[in-house]
Amino acid sequence: MKIVQSIKKFLSNIPMAGWLLGMLVAVLIEYFWGYDYISYYLGLPKIPVLFGAIIMLKDPTMIPGALAYDLVVYVLPVCIVGKASAFFTNPLAAAMEKLPLWISVLIHLCCFYGILSLWAGINDYRVLVVKLTLISIILTISINVINGYQGEFSCSHPGFMAVGAYVSSVITLFLFANDKIFGAAVLPPSLGPWLFPFALIMGGIAASVASLLVAIPSFRTRGDYLAIISLAFMFIVKSAVENINVIGGARGMGGQPDLAPLYVIFIWTMLCIWVIHNFVTSIMGKALNAVRDDEAASESMTVKTRKTKMTAFMFGAFWAGIAGGLFAHVLTYINPGMFSINRLAEILAMVYFGGLNSIVGSIVGAVSINILGEALRPLELFKWIIIPLILIFVMIFRPYGLISFREINAGKLLAARKNK
Amino acid sequence: MTMVFSSSAFCKRETVIKIGINAPLTGDIPKVGEGTKYAAQMWLSDIEKAGGLEVGGQKYKVELVIEDNESKAESAVKANTKMISQDDVLAIVGPQSSKQAVPAGEVANKYKTVMISPWSTNPDTTMDRPFVFRGCFLDPFQGPVVANFITDEFGFTKAAVLYDVASDYPKGLAEVFKDAWENKHGAGSIVAFESFTTKDTDFSSQLTKIIQSGAQVLFTPQYYNEVPLIVKQAQELGWKGPVVGSDSWGSAETVELCGEACYGQFFSSHYAAAGAKGATKDFIDRYNEKYGYIPDDVAALTWDALRLAQQAIQDAGKLTGRIDKDRQAVRDALAKITNFAGITGNMTFTEEGDPVKCAVIVKINDKGEYEFYKSVCP
Amino acid sequence: MESFTDLIPFFIQNFINALQRGSFYAVISIGYSMVYGVLMLFNFAHGDIFMVGTYIGFGIATLFLSLFAGILPGPVIFVGTVVVTMFLASWIGVFVEVAGYRPLRQAPRASAAITGLMIGIIFETGILILLGAKRLSFPPLIESVSYNVGGVYFTNIKVMIIIISLLLMLALHTFIQKTKWGMAMRAMSYDFLAVPLMGVSINIMAPLTFAIGAGLAAVAGILYGQAYPILDPYMGVLIGWKAFVAAILGGRGSIKGAALAGYLLGFIEIFVATIFPSTLRDLIAYSIILLILTFRPRGFFGMEHSTKLRL
Repeated sequence: MKIVQSIKKFLSNIPMAGWLLGMLVAVLIEYFWGYDYISYYLGLPKIPVLFGAIIMLKDPTMIPGALAYDLVVYVLPVCIVGKASAFFTNPLAAAMEKLPLWISVLIHLCCFYGILSLWAGINDYRVLVVKLTLISIILTISINVINGYQGEFSCSHPGFMAVGAYVSSVITLFLFANDKIFGAAVLPPSLGPWLFPFALIMGGIAASVASLLVAIPSFRTRGDYLAIISLAFMFIVKSAVENINVIGGARGMGGQPDLAPLYVIFIWTMLCIWVIHNFVTSIMGKALNAVRDDEAASESMTVKTRKTKMTAFMFGAFWAGIAGGLFAHVLTYINPGMFSINRLAEILAMVYFGGLNSIVGSIVGAVSINILGEALRPLELFKWIIIPLILIFVMIFRPYGLISFREINAGKLLAARKNK
Repeated sequence: MTMVFSSSAFCKRETVIKIGINAPLTGDIPKVGEGTKYAAQMWLSDIEKAGGLEVGGQKYKVELVIEDNESKAESAVKANTKMISQDDVLAIVGPQSSKQAVPAGEVANKYKTVMISPWSTNPDTTMDRPFVFRGCFLDPFQGPVVANFITDEFGFTKAAVLYDVASDYPKGLAEVFKDAWENKHGAGSIVAFESFTTKDTDFSSQLTKIIQSGAQVLFTPQYYNEVPLIVKQAQELGWKGPVVGSDSWGSAETVELCGEACYGQFFSSHYAAAGAKGATKDFIDRYNEKYGYIPDDVAALTWDALRLAQQAIQDAGKLTGRIDKDRQAVRDALAKITNFAGITGNMTFTEEGDPVKCAVIVKINDKGEYEFYKSVCP
Repeated sequence: MESFTDLIPFFIQNFINALQRGSFYAVISIGYSMVYGVLMLFNFAHGDIFMVGTYIGFGIATLFLSLFAGILPGPVIFVGTVVVTMFLASWIGVFVEVAGYRPLRQAPRASAAITGLMIGIIFETGILILLGAKRLSFPPLIESVSYNVGGVYFTNIKVMIIIISLLLMLALHTFIQKTKWGMAMRAMSYDFLAVPLMGVSINIMAPLTFAIGAGLAAVAGILYGQAYPILDPYMGVLIGWKAFVAAILGGRGSIKGAALAGYLLGFIEIFVATIFPSTLRDLIAYSIILLILTFRPRGFFGMEHSTKLRL
């Protein structure tokens, strides 16, 4: 324990900028020497993905090698560079504090994105995992609006996702791809990246319109009816898609143009975090919490409960639709079976694991469940014993999830650190 | 780290031939995944006995990378991406069912890596994808085969179809069969075209409709876990006619679970286990001895796909150690293979990467074995 | 569909089919409804408790058949299997309550629901690991005999399923209405907070409720194995969700409502597939449920009180 404390103390004066610099150095080390030297001399076949978890589980003899790799490439450089650079990153952070917060956040995010894309760019599998994780973050935050801030138990998220995925796919296929359904592309593919946001937003709007199917009947009364109405909605969407042969029915729909590179998804994710953060900290968000805690009382305090609930529900559905659209363009294939009970269990697991009523919690939940799911892949069936067990323990010891009802103050996070 | 080390360190890594296996070990059809895995392990032990795989006069060590695709499309995409970009596999065998093979084929083609799907019969899997091949015939071929067989064998004119609307393969094949049948017997000759949803166990309302419709034969392109229920329930509801199936019946479990209700029924398949000869019999006997049951068509097709990959690697002539070059060479060699003697029949690839091969009509005999009944060639 | 006289057997046939299907939904959703009524939580593990019960029933049936086949008549073995399975499966219910839900008594209900979902996944995977990928076939305990009455086909198994389900529900109804335990359960579903103050221990009531629900689900499992003899580790998922729909459709804490809603669900499924093209079955069936809830927002027999999430 003493050691931990002294390490903590040792690292306490590194600001966020310092950490980022450390990460940059670590990524560069991996980029230039990871394959030829470090992994070779540690007896690893390649640069490990996901911090070597997959290698360790597949082949236990590799554990020391993979751990040593993590230490040499990530842990030590980050700590050492962070500490060594503290003398100039602290003044830098202090200078940035004088700027408006959003500029400082933007600078940090750009640096972070650069590091992330370098790290992921080493291997396309990493890129795919990062992309899907970012999409999961959007999904988890959007369901948190309904299940956390609004305190309902909605099961319709996969349905909204499906609506968004299909609507945006139909638009992009129609406009930019030569495919069997809609024939030749209407517009030159070079316009794709510029009009892609429009397709996504259409998907989001379609999802939020569809969410009225759930919202209108279920907000007539309070209670558990939303749970089954939303469940029914999910099945209705799946069954409806299966019956529309134009969009492939059960065969699914493939060949979406690849319009979702990492930076697009990163921008959308950050946008989602920012917009939802503003939403839940606005008067609307406060009203939403009031409605959750006591509907009758908030009604008497001039909160328009019905309008508040409807807006929040449609808002959550909108972002689920966006996530669905991105998902479709990452995989370039969708079928109705993807948006069913399995997906629902995954989404619920992410939001309740991460924490209710907290955007940071949602990010933590989405990232953990995604990374766990990938890292434990070599365990095959046992993966589905371990992940549920972890979740059960989280539920027992932290019933509201890991990080709930708390937000992290961005200004504090980026501030300069004093030497204690 | 100093720069003392020359980059020769990088060349010392020995070249290992890695073959990726993308199989549904968990999820809806674990038995299919199991068969895939077993066939692959058997193939690997053969290679190991021979001391490696000989390419261009040099023996290379072979490794299998077996990934679970959980019977989900996105997992199949992840598994393929991982095997190609992380494990540097030379070729991929799998995924088996079309709902995973279609999106996974997109990935394999994007990264210019050979992928052979042993069991996927959906035309989209290989269409416009030079790097994607398959080891079996296609639905557009299988549907007419079954339709012709029923017409010739029984002389029926009214057929009913029962299929899973939420599953790629049954739905596709049901539609192909419907078209083929109506081409032969005119519009309206499919008197009932009924569907259910995956995981249903009660087909009574659909079967009641089918019986009411006066159909003479029921075609159901379903998997081994549904066929026994469909056949038994049909008979309980007073169905007297034959029930005909497709290659998805070909699992050893179909008869085990169905018992006598399925005796005497026919289905189209890739190969028949009972009464097989030559290499096919060898494979069946060895598999049966090792794992304790008769291999189903998935295992046999996987075996063929692996041997195709092996043949292509050997035909490529030499391995340069540059993975992208080697993948291209393997792909070119694979496309050139003609008259490959597989245990599920001889194969020659078309432009699309689909083999031209015969279908087998299998009869389930009174001992519950899959007996060769007749063979239908394109 | 030639004429009206042909339609009558056709209708009766579907009616019997729907009764059988509805029986399963009814019995399983009762277990759901009891837990929902007494503890106010969605027991998402219930479908998988049903699955585990079916597997236990399979084990017991196989054991009994190997010991007593030919010595004892089929119905005796059947009853023995039912009794032993019920007993064993009840303990599964108790285990789920004590291990999964008890630590979460004070937690929000949604967390308990997630725990249930996860316990269910553990059960599914555990069975898959224990028994491998092979599907199992439930041994027929009673010789199936088919009858054909005027073009309507049914088997003795079908009749047995319908009757036993009704008897089970009747027994449960009697238990709830006539015994002290039943009274306590009804009281809890009426006022969850006041009952513990009256000296009813919630730590006894909760496992008891789970045990009864699990026992019922296991009997449903054995009957299910007789009707649809293919066991699969994921068999409980869909039926669990459907039972969940039925339980809430019936109204909170209403056993009668849950049973009725279960039958209704069976009838909707069968008759929608009969009247409309069967590809649209799910679409129409769930739309009907949506409509019902729009016009009867409290379900059939739901009580008038706010069901607030205890967040």
